[in-house]
Amino acid sequence: MSGFDAFAADFLYACVSISLFILGVSFLLIVYRIIKGPTLPDRIVGLDLLVVVAIGLIAVVGVGSTYTLYIDISLALGLVGFLATVAFARFILNRGQAKDFIIMQEVKQTERVEEQKQ
Amino acid sequence: MTNMVFLMNLLLAAAWGAITGSFTPLNLIFGYLLASIALFLIREQVAFREYTQRAGKLLILAGSFFLELVLSSWRVLMIVIKPKIKLHPGIIAVPLTVTEDFEITLLANMVTLTPGTLSVDVSEDRKILYVHCLNVPSPGETINGIKDGFERQILEAFR
Amino acid sequence: MTAFISILVGIMLIIGAIFAAGAALGINRLPDVYTRMHAASKAGTLGSGLMVLALGIYSQQWDDFMRAVATVCFFLLTAPVSAHLIARAAYVVGYRPCKETSIDELHMKKKNDDA
Repeated sequence: MSGFDAFAADFLYACVSISLFILGVSFLLIVYRIIKGPTLPDRIVGLDLLVVVAIGLIAVVGVGSTYTLYIDISLALGLVGFLATVAFARFILNRGQAKDFIIMQEVKQTERVEEQKQ
Repeated sequence: MTNMVFLMNLLLAAAWGAITGSFTPLNLIFGYLLASIALFLIREQVAFREYTQRAGKLLILAGSFFLELVLSSWRVLMIVIKPKIKLHPGIIAVPLTVTEDFEITLLANMVTLTPGTLSVDVSEDRKILYVHCLNVPSPGETINGIKDGFERQILEAFR
Repeated sequence: MTAFISILVGIMLIIGAIFAAGAALGINRLPDVYTRMHAASKAGTLGSGLMVLALGIYSQQWDDFMRAVATVCFFLLTAPVSAHLIARAAYVVGYRPCKETSIDELHMKKKNDDA
């Protein structure tokens, strides 16, 4: 094992650690947006992004553990996340067209904000 | 006609995999390349020229799509890390030249993944695509960008 | 050869993580649902796609690499569809874009249709 090989292994290890840290921070940021809202579609966008970042995290863990089966896991998670987002979008559409009380309140709020600023 | 040539190419690649006895992706890609060379040799009979031209245009479409994806992510990143976000978002109407459902879907997907634009809705008569833009200093420019870029490329690749 | 692949994979992981973090920052800093969708659908997809591709390269096997490419293609196909669905649902239900929105031709058309 030459010096360059050792450097490359160390470099990869450092990169895995740094990206795990960055992804952890982005998880926190996304969770903050999901909790804060302010509207239902905002939270759903947050959940969608959470799944996407989780897929990235799985790939990084896969590189860190040299276990390539993680590719299939990320593919499966991507499928589930996509279906979940589609279901959520249908939910907003259905409940909104049925004039759901909470959704209508949020809609009124966004309209009021718009009028105030004009 | 073009579809026939493509099918023949795939069949020849599958035949290559069968006679060499291994269906690994690498071997199949190699077989596909060999089959396209074989088809090139009999190009007079199977209208090969059209096939290559279309394949080239599809490749250009895919390549420019990836380039735009990277560019758009970069731009979003630059907007986000600036200390003060100054944006003029807006929803603009883009008149469509493409008519097939498949082409509209493809165009809407590509518009969503390219710089500063996100398709919101298609009008019921399928003539207008409503696009949300991150920054619209002048709507006409953005509309021309979409029409000259992806729509023209899609028309060239699929017509 | 392995050393070069390790360095390439490391750089791809870092760039992917930075794009994912940019998307996360974007949905916190941008003003309304529609602009947040821009950050989530573009930067997020590119980031996670890069990281999955890095895992495929790292495995150094053709079947794993092809599966990683298939996964990335799948993300590229589904991300715009889900963004479009959320945006359309939000717009149809009536969530208004933020006050900086300079022009809204879909709203104008809806008004004309109602009138």
